[in-house]
Amino acid sequence: MNATIEQLAATLETALGSGSVTADASALASYNVDGKSPAIFCAPKDQDEVSAALRLCVEARAGVIPWGGGTAIRLGNIPRQADVILELKRLNKLIEHDDANLTASAQAGIKVVELQQILGQQRQFLPVEPPRPDLATIGGTAAANINGPRRMLYGGVRDLVIGMKVVLADGQQIKAGGKVVKNVAGYDMCKLFVGSLGTLGVITEVTFKMAPIPESAATLVATGPLSRGLQLVDQLMQSTLLPAAVAVVSAEATGVDSVRPAVAVRAEGFEDAVARHLRQAQELAGRMGLRAEVLREETHRSLWEQIRDFGSSGEAVAYRVTVPVASLADVVETIDRWSRSERAARFVAHAGSGTVWIASAADPAGAAWFPRLTALAKEQRGHAVMVAAPPEFKQGVDVWGAPPESLSIMREIKRQFDPHAILNPGRFIAGL
Amino acid sequence: MSRDVLIRELRQIVGDRYVLTEKEDVIVYEQDASILQVMPEVVVLPADVGQVSAVVRAARRANVPIVPRGSGTGLAGGAVPAEGGIVLCLARMNRILEIDLKNRVAVVEPGVINIDVTKAVTKQGFFYAPDPSSQAACSIGGNVANNSGGPHTLAYGVTTNHVLAVEAVLDDGQAVWLGGRVADSPGYDLCGLFVGSEGTMGIVTKAAVRLMRTREAVQTLLAVFDRMEPATQTVVDITAAGIIPAALEMMDQLTIEAVEKGKPVGYPRDAAAVLLIELEGVREHTERAARLAEEICSRNGARQVRRAQSEAERQLLWKGRKEAFGALGALAPNYYVQDGVVPRSRLPEIMREVAEIGSRYRLRIANVFHAGDGNLHPNILFDMRVPGELDRVIEAGAAIVKACVAAGGSLTGEHGIGLEKKAYIGLLFNDDDLEAMARMRRAFDPDGRFNPAKVFPTPITCAEMRRQPAKIPAGLWI
Ligand SMILES: Cc1cc2nc3c(=O)[nH]c(=O)nc-3n(C[C@H](O)[C@H](O)[C@H](O)COP(=O)(O)OP(=O)(O)OC[C@H]3O[C@@H](n4cnc5c(N)ncnc54)[C@H](O)[C@@H]3O)c2cc1C
Repeated sequence: MNATIEQLAATLETALGSGSVTADASALASYNVDGKSPAIFCAPKDQDEVSAALRLCVEARAGVIPWGGGTAIRLGNIPRQADVILELKRLNKLIEHDDANLTASAQAGIKVVELQQILGQQRQFLPVEPPRPDLATIGGTAAANINGPRRMLYGGVRDLVIGMKVVLADGQQIKAGGKVVKNVAGYDMCKLFVGSLGTLGVITEVTFKMAPIPESAATLVATGPLSRGLQLVDQLMQSTLLPAAVAVVSAEATGVDSVRPAVAVRAEGFEDAVARHLRQAQELAGRMGLRAEVLREETHRSLWEQIRDFGSSGEAVAYRVTVPVASLADVVETIDRWSRSERAARFVAHAGSGTVWIASAADPAGAAWFPRLTALAKEQRGHAVMVAAPPEFKQGVDVWGAPPESLSIMREIKRQFDPHAILNPGRFIAGL
Repeated sequence: MSRDVLIRELRQIVGDRYVLTEKEDVIVYEQDASILQVMPEVVVLPADVGQVSAVVRAARRANVPIVPRGSGTGLAGGAVPAEGGIVLCLARMNRILEIDLKNRVAVVEPGVINIDVTKAVTKQGFFYAPDPSSQAACSIGGNVANNSGGPHTLAYGVTTNHVLAVEAVLDDGQAVWLGGRVADSPGYDLCGLFVGSEGTMGIVTKAAVRLMRTREAVQTLLAVFDRMEPATQTVVDITAAGIIPAALEMMDQLTIEAVEKGKPVGYPRDAAAVLLIELEGVREHTERAARLAEEICSRNGARQVRRAQSEAERQLLWKGRKEAFGALGALAPNYYVQDGVVPRSRLPEIMREVAEIGSRYRLRIANVFHAGDGNLHPNILFDMRVPGELDRVIEAGAAIVKACVAAGGSLTGEHGIGLEKKAYIGLLFNDDDLEAMARMRRAFDPDGRFNPAKVFPTPITCAEMRRQPAKIPAGLWI
């Protein structure tokens, strides 16, 4: 920094008003990033104030941590510098819900659960399901590219976000995309910010596609030996069924079964189509000798909430391994074997995207998972990310894994958008 | 480096046969499917990625631009060499390199024709979802560059939703994979950024694309309306009812007239509009969705709703839609395709506005388009031989684009900005927005070597750009 904390706090206060800025250590105690506690907290009330704050921070060369709900703050490398928390919770308004067009725009700081409530009044929802939607904001969800279980039917964040407003590091306010579902005017700049973890700009508004709330939804849960569960998944993937989600959960990963792993198949849509999915999945499960049970209403909802929230609270160490879908069975079996022979871990695997989430205790054996998962993923042309861990585990590793061959372009993008590296410095891949 | 030295180098790289410099050879490459023409100085047809790299390095040394070209079906002048330099045509790189059905991925070279990807996996029960109406001719490289859509991208998403990774040759001549074979590759989404960059960031030399499982059932409906208004309202209502059809296409009266003048398929000539509605999924879904769609059509006063009872009948319902574009030739010697988008809910009013623009400029406009996602294709009919008529066509086109943006939409839904719309991009994005895009451009291509003078509203300095209606290959529709 080239200003003192007091100086920067004072200029921020002049720009945002005294109620919006504090340098009081006790107020900042809960805004810890990998063991680093920023000295200034500010909460701009609108996009202009975000811009004003960033302009001052870049002048002072202060490290800025944009903060939504804090649910993905454990993601990323340890920041090199963390001086200012820029909280977006006051940008919490729905801008527009065009229900006839199935699109909506909201300010970045709106909580996902509140947004879903508003959309739900028109029987629509945003098919993105971050863990802890009571805390997670829409902006943070987009920035961290948090995808939920139903991605296989509805697409991921990158597919659903069609427009954005962003404040760049130098305070420049830009818009990306638009409000229509089909749009190829200019570069697809939304793709730049989705998943950039707040290292290129601060998202202040998001426009996305929605889906109608399905008429009916239910889940078939099949429990039994893991290998047979994985065969069921394989059969489902080969069928013409279109489940909304297929998850493989280890024993104890959810409240479903404390001893046996389970496969959860979620169907939604018209009543008849749901019945068909349940029927066929049940038949397949029966043929495999799995015990099958249909969950509806509360038990259905609660299971998927547990799956959604897996690894997000309490867990000391969490990893995400992503591999081509056909390799998922092998990877899950290997992880299960390690878990039984070495260090107990729980996992949830999403068949549609080839993603496995693994959670384990914070001891050296838990930390030892990372290099092994990385090697396992690499064998299958995938990757492993350490998504949450105590800072001592992050020391000396890149939580994102080995950088891709295109790293030099990523570096150049970072240089173009944030030349003084003030936004989440160091948290992204290869310390970007 | 002199031009002669460059040409000699290029010949060494790809072989004499694949460097074209004579007027009668390069004239084929002076235009895409837009009305814009510039005679290329030199056209190079590489055979593999190594040659592409070498050509890019040679161009860099000689400090000349490179304009990538696929099949030349683009409608925005994207492949037209507005600033001279090398036209790099990828048509020879047309191999399907890998098909991995278990992982639902195909890896293809950029010159592979769109339909050939689906053809290669149909028997096994798979398809490649983005299906531009030009799919019999357009290339995957062009699709990636333009982020192309098609009738069935309503339910399945456009090209960007189906490209996992691209290998691209960048400004230093290196071939680099952007994106990965699996979801959520760590780092910035370079593949997502590259898709839709219209050839301004580098040359696509391979693409890893998603394959989808063929749906078990399909229902196709044709609904006939006496007025345009209830037809557009039906589109709005179907979406609002929570049905996402695989395709939801519209044709207006003038288009119907053209179709029935050519090879009639039995559309009522006095109808104001027909909607083609296709529903895909599991049988139980399509059955119910089709019934609901029929109800909505009837409630909006459709004169007739026909449901295809067989694959043959389905093909027949589509036939008119697919032949509409070609059939417009029966109404006028030339036509100019516009491409704009509005929120679906604004369709009724934008269709009125398009009609008004037609009468204001004394031009007939035939509409045949992807109504389900609000993507208009007004085809402005004209006669090139009438002095001044093309100017009026272009003004009318601009008025339509402005109306779309004013209605909260976009100036292009799938054809891109290219040369055609660079002057209008400011309608949607201000200088700061464009500057952010320019930063992206600089990160990939600091010298602006790839496809200069496209997308951004910079002036064209090239000497001679001409306007001439293109000859569209047979077998394409719009
Ligand atoms: C009758 C007709 C119907 C059409 N229907 C549709 C439709 O339904 N949906 C739709 O989206 N479009 C449609 N189009 C437009 C056009 O077909 C698409 O834009 C298509 O993707 C262009 O592909 P191409 O291979 O012909 O590309 P070209 O026209 O050769 O090039 C298009 C752009 O891509 C760039 N480019 C080409 N290859 C590469 C490469 N390997 N690397 C980098 N850049 C490259 C070029 O520089 C140019 O900017 C239609 C066109 C016609 C004539």
